[in-house]
Amino acid sequence: MNLKISALEYVQEVQSGNISVEDYVSKTIERISKVDEKIHAFLSVSENVLDQARMIDKKVRSGEKVGACYGMPISIKDNICIKDGKTTCASKMLENFVAPYDATVIQKLKQQDAVFVGKANLDEFAMGLTTEFSAYGASGNPWNTDYVPGGSSGGSAASVSAFECVASLGSDTGGSVRNPASFCSVVGYKPTYGLISRFGLISYANSIEQIGPLTRTVKDSAFMLNIISGLDTNDNTTIDGNEQDFLSGIEYGIEGKKIGIIKEMVGEGTAPEVLAATNDAVSKLEGLGATCEEVSLDMVKYSVAAYYTITATEAGSNLARYDNLRYGYEFPVEGYEFNSYIAKARRRFGPEVTRRMIIGGFVPSAGQAGKYFLKALKVKSKLTREVGEVFERFDLLVAPTVPVLPFKKGEKIDDPIALFQVDLNTVTANLTGRPAVSVPFAISNGLPIGMQLIADSNHDKMLLQAAYALEQTVNLPEVPI
Amino acid sequence: MVAAEEIERVSKLMRIDVDDHREYVDKVQSMIEFFDVLDSAGVESEEISMQEIPISNLRNDEHVPFDGKLIEKLNHYKGTYVRAPKMSS
Repeated sequence: MNLKISALEYVQEVQSGNISVEDYVSKTIERISKVDEKIHAFLSVSENVLDQARMIDKKVRSGEKVGACYGMPISIKDNICIKDGKTTCASKMLENFVAPYDATVIQKLKQQDAVFVGKANLDEFAMGLTTEFSAYGASGNPWNTDYVPGGSSGGSAASVSAFECVASLGSDTGGSVRNPASFCSVVGYKPTYGLISRFGLISYANSIEQIGPLTRTVKDSAFMLNIISGLDTNDNTTIDGNEQDFLSGIEYGIEGKKIGIIKEMVGEGTAPEVLAATNDAVSKLEGLGATCEEVSLDMVKYSVAAYYTITATEAGSNLARYDNLRYGYEFPVEGYEFNSYIAKARRRFGPEVTRRMIIGGFVPSAGQAGKYFLKALKVKSKLTREVGEVFERFDLLVAPTVPVLPFKKGEKIDDPIALFQVDLNTVTANLTGRPAVSVPFAISNGLPIGMQLIADSNHDKMLLQAAYALEQTVNLPEVPI
Repeated sequence: MVAAEEIERVSKLMRIDVDDHREYVDKVQSMIEFFDVLDSAGVESEEISMQEIPISNLRNDEHVPFDGKLIEKLNHYKGTYVRAPKMSS
């Protein structure tokens, strides 16, 4: 049984009767048992997956209509609700929280006969970019388990990379799908803001975050997008994608496209190996018939500060609901005054969440808002305008997904500013609502480098075509685990 | 430099109780200092643009039945009431 196949290959194999869902899912569970001790991609593994697999096999055998996923084993970031399953957000605060409903993306995947093999690790409440802030321990990078897998959807990326599932869903607030995709050499897709419903995604920074797929190939991301995108009455920020088929015409190519190389994202903070890979990517894009030209986005150098100011403010508001009365753990109320009870209960938040909540209280407060929060919103507005102007001249933008190579666990955890800088190339797409994708592009000294392409809003289909074209130019080694 | 006392005051307002204030104050101070770069962005005259959501995007105001009693999932639900800490006098 070959677990190292793409989602589309998996569907084809089941459809043609070459493999059964039960066999594949069973092997996947074996694989998780074998490698996840080292990777820790999962916070929990589903218990009833083989029953689900058998049911889908039965449908296949009887000729009954089967959903597009054909029992495909998928991992789900543990900040997305699956009904009657634990959703911890990798936090001790939600250690025993059982979701009472399905997220819209989960409903859609269930309708298409997906099998949820487990909940994937993340930085607590998706605040981080290494998974080291998970309250249940960091994940390891399948390419070298001493290194971080990126984050915050690090468990999702690692599980796809290590063949512990076929595909995964993550969430991307400032690069949390693309960053781990780059570090683990998988495809990570952040759609146009509103293309995918956020209903059932536990909120961190609603105004910019999106759910996105992590897959082995670009075609697989398009396949997943076909299933999970669309208007949702439960999320009034969703947009009408006109039921586009993102998979059809994906081989269209990029001949004649104009691509801007974002100057501020290949500056002095970029590692030489990443810079070399970027130059190589540009050559390959030109070889495919595109025209590449350097372009400047002046506001990029302020984007990380604006991003953290805005997200901390929204997090401060979103996490205010964790008073341990509506959600939480066993902690008796007797003997406590209301405010002191909540403050004591919140000791269960980890250090990064606590820091961001404090910042989230500070930056929009009376006397500080003008200096921080309002200024950050103005940077966001100006950056959005700059990007809009650039897309009048260019079809796509390119930059390395992350300016540095994956780094060792513990290397940056005590230096928040060093971690901030890792986000430099990804936050722009979130702040401006644009779609962006990380494509596995190179392996340097055994560590992956991903290349990021960004398109204008609602040009997701064209972005996937470009990503597919770039993907076809590389032939990367297999993950060593 | 944001004063440590200011950060401690905000922590209290946010109802966050931490053991080692120094540990948090140092890191929060360095993070907020990093945000000072916004001062040089030259955006004072910039208008803040917000995403507008048409009213038609809002879901209909109608009852959606839920198959279960959410209140029973609360840790402090006592059958007929929810136990909560006493309010400040």
